[in-house]
Formats: sequence, C-alpha cells, structure tokens
Amino acid sequence: MTSIGTGYDLSNSVFSPDGRNFQVEYASKAVENAGTSIGIKCKDGIVLATEKIIASKLLAPGKNKKIQTIDRHVGVVYSGLIPDGRHFVNRGRDEAQSFKSLYKEPMGLEGLISRLGYFVQAYTCYNSVRPFGINAIVGGIDDSGSHLYMVEPSGVYWGYMGAATGKGRQAAKAELEKLDLPNISCKDAVKEAARIIHLVHEDNKDKDYELEISWISKEETNGIHKFVPNDLLEEAKKYAEEEAEGRNDSDSASGSDSDSDEDME
Amino acid sequence: MMDSINVDITHLKKGEVSLGTSIMAVTFKDGVILGADSRTTTGTYIANRVTDKLTQIQGKIWCCRSGSAADTQAVADIVKYHLDLYKATNGKEPTPHLAASIFQEICYNNKDNLSAGIICAGYDEKKGGEVYNIPIGGSLHKQDYIIAGSGSVFIYGYCKKNYKKDMTKDETVSFIKTSLSQAIRWDGSSGGVIRMIVLTKDGIERLIFYPEEYENA
Amino acid sequence: MNHDPFHWGRPSQGTYGDYNYNIAHASNVDKSNKSNSEFPKMHTQQPMITGTSVIAIKYNDGIVMAADNMGSYGSLLKLDDLQRIIPVGSNSVVGISGDISDFQYLERLLDDLEVEDSYDMENENLKANHLSEYLTRVMYNRRSKMNPLWNAIIVAGFDDNDELVLKHVDLLGVAYSSPTLATGFGNHLAIPLLRQKVETEDDAAKLTKEEAIKTIKDCMKVLFYRDARSWDKYSLCVIEKSTKSIKIEKDVKVEGMKWDFAQHITGYGIPQQ
Repeated sequence: MTSIGTGYDLSNSVFSPDGRNFQVEYASKAVENAGTSIGIKCKDGIVLATEKIIASKLLAPGKNKKIQTIDRHVGVVYSGLIPDGRHFVNRGRDEAQSFKSLYKEPMGLEGLISRLGYFVQAYTCYNSVRPFGINAIVGGIDDSGSHLYMVEPSGVYWGYMGAATGKGRQAAKAELEKLDLPNISCKDAVKEAARIIHLVHEDNKDKDYELEISWISKEETNGIHKFVPNDLLEEAKKYAEEEAEGRNDSDSASGSDSDSDEDME
Repeated sequence: MMDSINVDITHLKKGEVSLGTSIMAVTFKDGVILGADSRTTTGTYIANRVTDKLTQIQGKIWCCRSGSAADTQAVADIVKYHLDLYKATNGKEPTPHLAASIFQEICYNNKDNLSAGIICAGYDEKKGGEVYNIPIGGSLHKQDYIIAGSGSVFIYGYCKKNYKKDMTKDETVSFIKTSLSQAIRWDGSSGGVIRMIVLTKDGIERLIFYPEEYENA
Repeated sequence: MNHDPFHWGRPSQGTYGDYNYNIAHASNVDKSNKSNSEFPKMHTQQPMITGTSVIAIKYNDGIVMAADNMGSYGSLLKLDDLQRIIPVGSNSVVGISGDISDFQYLERLLDDLEVEDSYDMENENLKANHLSEYLTRVMYNRRSKMNPLWNAIIVAGFDDNDELVLKHVDLLGVAYSSPTLATGFGNHLAIPLLRQKVETEDDAAKLTKEEAIKTIKDCMKVLFYRDARSWDKYSLCVIEKSTKSIKIEKDVKVEGMKWDFAQHITGYGIPQQ
C-alpha cells in the first residue's frame, strides 16, 4: 500500500486523491486473515459452514457458536471481527422483526439484504465510525425460493450460488466452482462444505478448528434455519477426512501428520 | 365545546357521512369479484346515490369500504402509499395478503379513532383469488367469501346456503347480484346501483347493474 | 351473573350500580385542560368480535384444554373457524378468549417471542412459566395505561423442570393458578362441573387422561347448551407429561346432545295439546 503515511488512510469518509477509501480496504484485510466461511445454494435450500479457529485451549468445545439466525428462515455466517458480526446480525433481526410487524409475513431475502447493505454502507460515510470488519454470508428461503448473498465492508452485496470468505477463500472458491451448483442437494452440500473447510484448513494447520454447519431447507428443516443434526455432522466430518486422506495418498508429496495440537498462541 | 387549542370532534363524528352499506367479495374458480351498493347517507338523507365504494389499492388489489367515508378513504390512501413504498423498496408486487395486513395494522392501531370495516380482495398470481375481512376493531380474517356493512345482516342465511366453492364467473355475478339486491331491499341504508369488479388473471373488469334489472334477479 | 366479555373488568353491578357507559364511550380527545371535562382521556374499550370461554383441567399426567371456534359480533355468530388455542414453541399452549383483534395482537407478540427464542439455535429456552409471567406483565402494563387488552388467557405447558404449568391471566393483569381453570362463561358453567371431578391437586393426581377428556367434552356440551355465544365445534388440547407431548385436535364436534325430551314439554303450565 503505497499510500500509507499520506494521511488519507486515517479517516473514514475521506477519499485519497486516486479515489480510494482506505479504511474500507483495511476492513477487508481484517476479513482476509480470519477463519474461512462458506455458503452454498442448493436445489432445496442453503448450507452455511465455517471454520472456527480455536484461539485458546481453554475455550469450551461446542460452545461459542458462530453461525447465527436473523429470522426463522434466514441464517448468517461471517468471517472477520466477531463483535462487528454480532452488531450486523442484531440489525438484521431488527429489520426482519419490524418488517413482519407491518406486513405480517416473513421478510424476503432481497429486501433484507438491501437494508443490510445500506446499513453497512453507512459505516463507511462517517468520521465517528469505522467500517464493519466482516464479510457476511446471508442465506435463506422465502416465497420466491432460496437465496445466498455476501455483504462486504463497503456495503456492496452480490447474490451467489457459492460464496466463500476468510483466509481460505481462494481455495474454497476453486472447490465450490467444481460443484454442480445450484443442483446439489442440501445433504450432499453439507458433506462438501465439511470437505472444503477441512481442505482449506490445511494451510492453517498449526491452529485447531471446530467445524460448524447449518442449513435451511424446505425438505430437511421445513424452511427453518438450524444446525445440521449431529449424526450428519459426524458423517460429513468423516467424509471430509476420508477425502483428505485419499488426496494425501494419491499426492504423496504432502505427507504431513494430522496431529497438530501443539503451538497454541 | 371547543377552545382555541382543542377541538372536540365527537359531535361532528356523529353527523359524519357514513357508508351504511351492503358490500361483499367472493372468490371463484378464476379469481375474485367485489360487489357493492352505491348509497351514502348522513342520517336518513342520501348524500350520494351513485357512490363508488370499490376502491383500487394497487393493480389487482381492491377493497370495499364500509363505516365512515372519511376514515375509510384515508385508510385506503395510506395503504396505497405503503404498497407503493413496498414495491419500490422490495422490488416485487405486493400480494393481497400484504395489503390486507397493512389495513389490519392501521385499523388495529387506531381502533379508538376509526370506524372502518373493510373487505380487501385481490387476485394473487400464485394463489388465485383471495378475500380478507378487516372488521371494526382491526382483526384480520381470510375467508372464501365475505359480506359486510349494515345490509349484510339480512343476507347471512341466503349467502351461507347459496355460496359454492369454485363457481364460474356468471354464477358468481348472479350470486352477488341476488345477495346484494336482497340486502338493498331490506336495508334502508343501502341502495342505488350494484357495482362489481371482476379480478382474474386476464385483468380487471367493471360491471354495473341498475335497479330495474337487479330487482328481478 | 354476567360474564359476557363486554362486562369484563367493570365494577360489579351489585356494589356500584349500573355501569356508566359514558366511560366506555368517552371522547378520546384530550380534554385535560377543560373545566367541563367529565372524564380524563380515554381509550376505547369495548370488545368488538369476541371469543367465549376457554376451559382446562389437570389430570394425573397432564392437562386437557378446550376452546370453541366461534368469533361473535354482539349476538351475530360471525366467524365459525377461529383457532383460539395456539401452541407457543414446543413447551406451551395458550387459550385466549375475549376480543379477537387483541387475540391476534397477542399471537403476534408470542410469535416474536418464539423467533427471539430461536436465536439460540441449540436450546429452546421459552417455557410455559416464562410465558405466563410475560403475558401477566403485558396485560398489567396495558391495564395501567387504561388501555387493556380485552382478553382472558389460560396458559398451559411445561416449566424449566418439565413440571406442569396451568395459569389464568386476565385483562387486569390478575394471574392465578388452579387444577381447574376457565375464562368467561366457563367460570359459571364449567368450573362447578370440573370441580366435581377435581377439587384439589390430589384429586387431579387421581384423574386419568380419558376421564379428563370426557369431563372437558361434557363441559363443552353444557357450554353449547347454555352459552348463547358458543359453538359446537372446538379445539381440544391434550398435554401429556410422561411423553412430554402437546397435541391439539381441531374441529372436534360436540357429541351426545339430548333434545328428544323436548317433545314431552308443551305449553308453560296450563295443559294443552
């Protein structure tokens, strides 16, 4: 970043002479180093998954959930600063609730994501605030089908068939592109999501991680955002490990041990 | 009963122009038909004998108004505004259910100040014809057909016995015509012509029937 | 004896004389600075479309509750397909009588509560004891604003320890519990019948599910015979502690009515044909 030190990167709401808002770009840096999150749009719903880096061995396993619910039919997973994500999710909940209080029906995904887009964007315009340090993947089902979006710190959002963010996004995107989207079933997508998270974690092997997967499907969850059941999660993990072993066998160059309990910070 | 700041309008409310009415909306095979008489009264004086009580909210979402003319017009205008806003911000067409929900919200939140009984009916591209009743008090009820207004009490029995699901358009028009003509016959606050709006996937059609015709229906 | 919803929450006639309807019909325009103001600022309050009694009884392994499908508008039996017993989460049900627009408002409040509970994706934390406390607060707050929600509510379900909860809350924010509960007309007609079976918690511990269901069904029949705002189709909710299940059966018909004795009743005293 050549412009560091010029002063244009110190404040929100100030452009550099070449038309960039550095605070927004720095926010994206916070995302780039965080645990990987992915979202998959399937033929019957949405699957969200995240690689939750275990920052300390003292953290209780299975607690500290990261995937969150905005409304019954909408789930969110994000990479980046967790408190920023929580603030973002709270706003989503308020939007969904106030929509329902007037219109007496669940908020559509397009309407929700556009409101959230405005919200995130507003944090790039004022001196007194900083942009959100997250990329949030928002997925859900409404009366026009299933939808998957990702919002970036600038406030821009796009609709995706497969979305990935965080440290392992490049490898994850490459894997997502190989899937038959959006014709894959939610059940298969859960396994693939586990495989992808497992795969991209290999570059970050010195740190332990916990896998979290949720889904929203007409058939599987009656259109409600839920964590996948434990047996399916275990099955998916097993599949992910088997695939990884298969890969290591065929590709004998990388034969590293999978034991990586050491080296906690 | 007034001072420079506060005006007591309760005595005005009493002399208000009201739609002592016979209105109905009926779902049928291809959509929904709304029907209404055309009489508006202040007390026993007929203020308007050719009123149009069928109000377009948005495309194929219409309503029949009963109660205070001023209140129901104001509410209909506000709902219209909300639906325009919804269309602009959510990028999709509002459904009859959505319109009915907003009617309900306004009628419920302002129940102390409103006398409005509204039937909201529309053609939903996915679900077909739908009718929603928002009676005084501000509750919301989805029904196959609805009758409302002061004249409706005379035709509850006739309608219950003669309504059938999935009628043809002609059957439905004649059902409404007979029902409303009887409501008009027995209710002094209903009268004039019978107006109808037919909402189907093909569009919006307006019908009108004059006393000499419907009296023999 | 008048437990028509129109008379709920009003001073008893015997003590205070006839109710002054100017209170219910008082202007809602603020007349606080007027010397001739007869009453302070008022909200409405009379119910429009109303639902009649909800009744419930405890038995040795749970609770049985019932409420009919009628929404009446004065004496007009306007709506015959209302569901007045609604599940809230998987631990509770509420049965609501009184004003239907307020009932639907409560339904929306409870739905919001359910959504907030679902933010914790792993546990269902909302239990019947929380619900009854919440509803009591809502009802009391509204009555304190002189703008009550015109309802009487029975909450049934399981608490944090999976024990049974059965509570009554009304438009004044008064809450109480008993092994037999009823709202509105049911207080006069059903409670005596229910108490014949279950007077105390000990009696409830002896009553079987089948007996409880039969008792409730009999009460619904008596209510249909004698409550002019009742209907012969109703929802029947059975809560079972041992299986931790809550089932709501819809559109149950009143059965076994007796009318044939009417043929022997002629005239009103003087013998006639």
